[in-house]
Amino acid sequence: MSMVAQPVRAQELAVGYHSRAVLSGIDIEVAPGASLALVGSNGSGKSTLLRTIAGLLSPVSGELTVLGGQPGSQPRGLAYLSQFHSSGFVLPMRSIDVVRMARFDHRGRFARASAADEAMVRESLERMGVSHLANRPLRSLSGGQQQRVYLAQVLARRAELLVLDEPTAGLDAAGREAFLAAMQQERERGAALVTSTHDIGEALVCDRALLLAGRVIAEGPPREVLTPDHLLETFGVGLTRLGDGPVITETHHVHTEAGHAPHQH
Amino acid sequence: MNWALDPFLDNEFLQRAFLAGVLVSLACAVVGTYVVLRGLAFIGDALAHGVLPGVAGALLLGLPPMLGAAVGAGAMIGGVGLITTRSRLSSDTAIGLLFVGLLALGVVMVSSSDSFTGDLVKILFGELLGISASDLWVQAIATAVVLLAGGFFARPFLLLCFDPDLAQVMGYSSKLHHNLMLMLIATTVIVSFQTVGTLLVFGMLLAPAGVGALLARRVGIMMLIAAFTGAFATYIGLLASYHFSTAAGASVVLTAVVIFFLVFTYTAISDAVTARRHAAEHALEVVA
Amino acid sequence: MFASLAVAGSAFALVACGDDSSSSSTSGKTVVVTYSVLGAVVADLVGDAASVSVLMPNGIDPHDFEPSAKDIEAVNKADLVVANGLELEETLEGALEEAAGSGVAVFYAGEHTEVRAIGEGELPEEHEGEEDGHAEEEAGHEHGVGSDDPHLWMSPAVMGDVITALVPVLAEAGIDVGDRADEVVADLAALDAEVAEALSAIPADERKLVTGHESLGYFADQYGFALVGAVVPSLSSQAEAAAGEIAELKELIESEGVTVIFTEIGTPGDVVDAIAEETGASVVELATHNLPDDGTYRTFMLDLANAVAAALAA
Repeated sequence: MSMVAQPVRAQELAVGYHSRAVLSGIDIEVAPGASLALVGSNGSGKSTLLRTIAGLLSPVSGELTVLGGQPGSQPRGLAYLSQFHSSGFVLPMRSIDVVRMARFDHRGRFARASAADEAMVRESLERMGVSHLANRPLRSLSGGQQQRVYLAQVLARRAELLVLDEPTAGLDAAGREAFLAAMQQERERGAALVTSTHDIGEALVCDRALLLAGRVIAEGPPREVLTPDHLLETFGVGLTRLGDGPVITETHHVHTEAGHAPHQH
Repeated sequence: MNWALDPFLDNEFLQRAFLAGVLVSLACAVVGTYVVLRGLAFIGDALAHGVLPGVAGALLLGLPPMLGAAVGAGAMIGGVGLITTRSRLSSDTAIGLLFVGLLALGVVMVSSSDSFTGDLVKILFGELLGISASDLWVQAIATAVVLLAGGFFARPFLLLCFDPDLAQVMGYSSKLHHNLMLMLIATTVIVSFQTVGTLLVFGMLLAPAGVGALLARRVGIMMLIAAFTGAFATYIGLLASYHFSTAAGASVVLTAVVIFFLVFTYTAISDAVTARRHAAEHALEVVA
Repeated sequence: MFASLAVAGSAFALVACGDDSSSSSTSGKTVVVTYSVLGAVVADLVGDAASVSVLMPNGIDPHDFEPSAKDIEAVNKADLVVANGLELEETLEGALEEAAGSGVAVFYAGEHTEVRAIGEGELPEEHEGEEDGHAEEEAGHEHGVGSDDPHLWMSPAVMGDVITALVPVLAEAGIDVGDRADEVVADLAALDAEVAEALSAIPADERKLVTGHESLGYFADQYGFALVGAVVPSLSSQAEAAAGEIAELKELIESEGVTVIFTEIGTPGDVVDAIAEETGASVVELATHNLPDDGTYRTFMLDLANAVAAALAA
């Protein structure tokens, strides 16, 4: 697999809908094997930025290069996880079928799964700790289990760039462990990671962080970015200093399956 | 010989009706599956009714009604697309407006002409007992087209059902495949009005696929179950229509819907029983 | 769950096996007539030379009828099908064509008599370009001005023509009616005279008819009536009355001094009530599409004539 020098490169980027920016002044570079955490409350523009990187939205202005080209031009190199999944309730699919879908664009329309594809699928399920749920229908799983399956699907793509929106939503402690371990492996493989999170602990593990609230509050290594002052400015919430780094009490933490980011059909 | 087979063995028109119903069921199994999974019931219904002025116009001009239906469906799909992209209105509203508008237009057209008062009924409710050999050919071709397209686009369609964003990211245009799906729905609807009619084809799209959704664990199986349900409903519906002198198309669709509710009740009860058993036996969280 | 379905399915098939056939045969030939009034006349003609069955139950609006599977089966298996034609049995058209195509003999009454077209006998002012009843076939207007009137049974004279034409067709189908043909034709002629007699009390300037739909054309021609208009200006009861047409009708009723509106099967009741209220006309229901209790054509025509006479001679 050929590696691109800079999986993500943005200059003076503004993102939004219908030519109206919800977030502007973004200058970032993510190198192979590096990770970037987007931190901010709902409506801060995190999802919009992620969707733009994934190629689902056009940038409002500025420059954005993804995997060496226009966003959306390299499907095989990219894995994207969106924030809301409503299909789990009706769709008759087993977990393993969901993960197998990750290999579709590698196989073409009709080619049957190769042994290598199948091995990747199995391994991904294993890494997220849901191998025992492989043949269970997706809709019979709990929210946390479903999320693990979606993450297994991301892993099975063997992408160069992972763009994940709230990947740990609904996961329990074990699930989060598995996710962090998997992300570590991905980065060792050379993949770049851009993820949004409400969890400061997760953000601290990344190489760089971007603190957002309609604009860029701060950008840089997490410990420099996620200071009490910055967090107050972003979330409007008080915090306590515990031990090593700042720990926030999240009061605006709203995880709903009901809300929808505006979709364009 | 016996009342379950004789009507079919003795009457060619019933054999044709059965065959037509099976062909419609096959197409509806594939298309209906996607309608159910993608929540396209509303637009499916709208298409089924929106074709009315197209058909009415075609009949007025002496053109083949299916051509009119195709034009009507095209107007519907195009109109919805136009309204949703050019304005802030949700597709829900756009579909609703076009649906009602086209339906009203169709009725106005029919009522202002002195002809085809009976034809309106035929269009809406079909003429399952009046299927001719050439009608069968047309239906067979349409079903073949739908099956082939369903097979060809199986993977992108599956992705679209799972998550339109994922499909887009993986290189399959969400918009293109969404419109392809709509066209397949339209094709099925257009060809159907000679069998169960445009009003009722909607039932054939939803009920068998609904049964499939309740029972299947995989999408392929869902389509198979839908196909069998549709075919079975055709058989029972025609049989009932014969013995009880009920309208054929409506009987078939009613049977399909009844089957759905029977299966629904069965699965609901069995799920509740299983859930209670699990809660009693294990300390695990109850699966919804 | 599938296992239980399979068991149920096979049980179903087993139970279903059982001899159920029943046959009713006199001479073994069957004549299927589409609707009741025509059926009465044909039954008179055929007697017991063949078994005559009527598809549409009496009281059903023939313009509205939906054939069931058994109806279509009966048509396909008949030795002769007698239909009205002229688009009366719109909903049976397909089945009749299919049957004819596969060799069943189908007799269309409308092909064997002089057919009138709508526009004849009506007041000239009502329809533009329809002077003197020169029928123009307008494309696509099957039931509008200029189209053929299917209500053949409204005149015994017309039925006489139909019967006369039917006899050889019956013979071809192997049904010999013998002397009955002459008897029936004579009866119809006598009936014609009786009807004319029953109507004789009505003065000439009262011989105006406003009906539910355009159904009394042949009656009007035969007995010297003028058709002022209809609530539903169509040859079919299934059309809808439009606002402009209702207004026109009201004006005609007033200008022509019409005192009775004759409603029939399928006539929209509230529209009629509204017109009656505004014009002061009375409303009388006529049984124009279905047989009386004794099921004979004779009573049908006499009841009709008497009702018209009673309403207009008053």
